[in-house]
Amino acid sequence: MNLWNKLMCYSRRHSPWLFHMNSGSCNGCDIELVASLTPRYDAEQLGVRLEGSPRHADILCITGPVTHNAVSAIKTVYDQVLGPKAVIAIGSCPATTNVFIDSRTLDGPLNKHIPVDVYVPGCPPRPDAIIQGVAKAAEILAARGNNPPSTEIVIAETPAEVQP
Amino acid sequence: MNLTTALARLLIFPGLLFAIPAAWFFLWVERKSVALMQGRVGPPFMQPFFDFIKLLGKTTPPRSGVGGLLMRAWPLIAVSAAAGAVGLLPVLPSSGGFEGDLILLLALLELPSMCIIAAGFSSRSIFGEIGSAREAVLSVAYNVVFLLAIVSIAAAQHTFRLESLAALPATPMRWLGVLALLVCLPAKLHLNPFSLPNAEQEIYSGPMVEYAGPELAMWELSHGLEWVAATGLVATLAAPYITLWWLAALVFVGIMVAIVLALSTLASATARLAIDTTVRFYWQCTLIFAVLAVSSALFMRLRS
Amino acid sequence: MNILTMLWKNLWGGNRTTLFPARPKVSAGYRGLVEFDPELCTGCAICKFRCTARAIEFKAGKGEFTWSYDPGQCTFCGRCVEGCAEHALKEGHTEHALSQESAPPPIYFRSGELKHAYTVKRKTTVKAAAPQQANAPSPSPPANSPAPGGTQ
Repeated sequence: MNLWNKLMCYSRRHSPWLFHMNSGSCNGCDIELVASLTPRYDAEQLGVRLEGSPRHADILCITGPVTHNAVSAIKTVYDQVLGPKAVIAIGSCPATTNVFIDSRTLDGPLNKHIPVDVYVPGCPPRPDAIIQGVAKAAEILAARGNNPPSTEIVIAETPAEVQP
Repeated sequence: MNLTTALARLLIFPGLLFAIPAAWFFLWVERKSVALMQGRVGPPFMQPFFDFIKLLGKTTPPRSGVGGLLMRAWPLIAVSAAAGAVGLLPVLPSSGGFEGDLILLLALLELPSMCIIAAGFSSRSIFGEIGSAREAVLSVAYNVVFLLAIVSIAAAQHTFRLESLAALPATPMRWLGVLALLVCLPAKLHLNPFSLPNAEQEIYSGPMVEYAGPELAMWELSHGLEWVAATGLVATLAAPYITLWWLAALVFVGIMVAIVLALSTLASATARLAIDTTVRFYWQCTLIFAVLAVSSALFMRLRS
Repeated sequence: MNILTMLWKNLWGGNRTTLFPARPKVSAGYRGLVEFDPELCTGCAICKFRCTARAIEFKAGKGEFTWSYDPGQCTFCGRCVEGCAEHALKEGHTEHALSQESAPPPIYFRSGELKHAYTVKRKTTVKAAAPQQANAPSPSPPANSPAPGGTQ
C-alpha cells in the first residue's frame, strides 16, 4: 500500500482546506487571511479553499486572543474538525495574547486549550506570511496523516506559574 | 439495447469510467476559468483529483441509527443517479438508447438535488435545514421552466428519445428551448447568481454542514457529474449531427466546455442573489416564456 | 457590461499573482523584528517602559543587565526603537541600540521559539572592559533572564 500512502500524502499536502475562526480578534488578521485569497497573493494556487463548515476543513486558522466566551466554542470546533488536522495561530494574539497580556477577559494563549502546529507572527501578519504558514501546516498535516500519533495529543505548555 | 450494452454504457463509456475523470476535468475548467477571469492563477490541473483523494483519507464522524444510515446513503444515491444520467448521453452518433430516455435522464438529473434536500434535513442541523429549504424552493422555481422547455422541444420534434433529438435538424423552437435550459443551468448547478443553497459563509455550507471525509468526496463527485450531465443534455440538443464518430464526440465535448466557460463567466460576473429575488426571477420572468414555448409547441403538434 | 469587459481584460491580460514561494517586497517603512545591538546599549530601559506588549524584558544586575525580546509577544509598533533613538539623541549619541528590520517576521512552530536574551556588561566610564554578550537563541539562559518562553 506504499503507492496509496504516497498518493494520500501528496494529496493532503496539495489540498489544504481551511476553516477560519475568530476568538475575539480585532479583525486585522481576519482581513489579511481573506486578503490571501485575492489575486495578488492567491492562496488557491496551493489548492487552498476557505470552507464554510469545520467538518469540511483540514486546517483550523484561529485569530484573536482567546476570550472567555470563545474558549468553549474553540474546543467544540476543534473537536468538529476531523481526520488528520492542523492548527495555525494567525497573528501574535493567539500565540501570546500580544498587547492584551494580563487582561481580565482573556483565557490564555491558544495552546492552553488546543495544540497549535504553526505560529504566524505579525500584527497583522502579511498575507504571504499566512500562505507560508498554510503551506507549512499542510506539510505537517501530510506527515501526521501517515504517522498518526499513537496517544492522545497532549496540550502543550501548561502555564508554570501565574504572573501577577 | 440489451443488458451488456446498457452495462457498458453505464460503467465504461460514457458511464462511470469516463464520467468521473470528465467530472474532475469540468470542475477544474470551472475553477480555473473563474480564477483567470479574476486575475489569479487558480488551482493546478489535478486539483479536483487531489481533493477527492484527500477527502477519502479523512475520518468520518460517528453516525448512529437510521438517520445515520440515511446520511451515508444520500451521497451514494446522488453519485449513482448522476453517473446514470451521464451514461444516457448520446455522445457518439448511433449509440442506441430507448424510447423515452430523455425522461429518464431528467429524472436522474433531478435526484442529486433531491438528495441534497434530504441530506440537509437528515443532518439535524439548523443550517442544514435552512439550506435544504432554500434548495427546495429554488428547485421548484427553476424546474418548472426546465421541464417546460424540455417538453416544448420534445413535443415540437415528436420524440422523447435523445438519439433522435440529436439526429434531427434544429428548429427555432429548439433554440428557444435551449435558451431556456441555459437560463436554468446556473440554478441547477449552484452557480452565482443562484448559488444560494450551498452558501458557504452565510449558512455554513447549508445541507453539507455535517458531511465529512468520503461522504463529502461523493458529494463533490456528484456535483461534477451533474455538471457533465447537465451540459451534456444541452450539448445533445445543440450539437449538429455529424456522422464521423470522433468528430461528433469532439464537437460534443467542445460544446460542453463552451457551456462551462459561459457559465463560469456568468458566475464570476455576478454576486449571489437572495432567495426571494431568485424565485421571483424564475417565476415572473422565465415562466412566461416557458409557457409560451410549450403552448406553441403543442399548437404546432396539434396542427400537424 | 463593464464587468464583462473587465473579465475579458483579466482573462487575456495575465494574472497578477505572486507565485508561491516568492513574496512581494515590503514597503520602505515596514516594521519587522526588532534588532538589538549590545555594543551600543546603555541600559536605560526606556524600551521596556515604552513597550506596549511587554515583549521586552529588562533585568538589571550589578555591573550587567539582561535584555530579552520575544518576537511572538511583539506587536511591531516601533515605540521601543523611537524611544531608544530619542534617548540616544538626548545623550548626544548618534547611534542607538535598537533598530527594526524591514522584513516580515518568520513563522515558527513552538511557542516562545523565537525569544532571545542578551546579557550585557555595563559599560564603565573608562571603557576598559569590552562588554560581553551572551547571544542565547535558546529560550531561557538559566540565571539571568526572567520568564521562560511560552507564558504570557
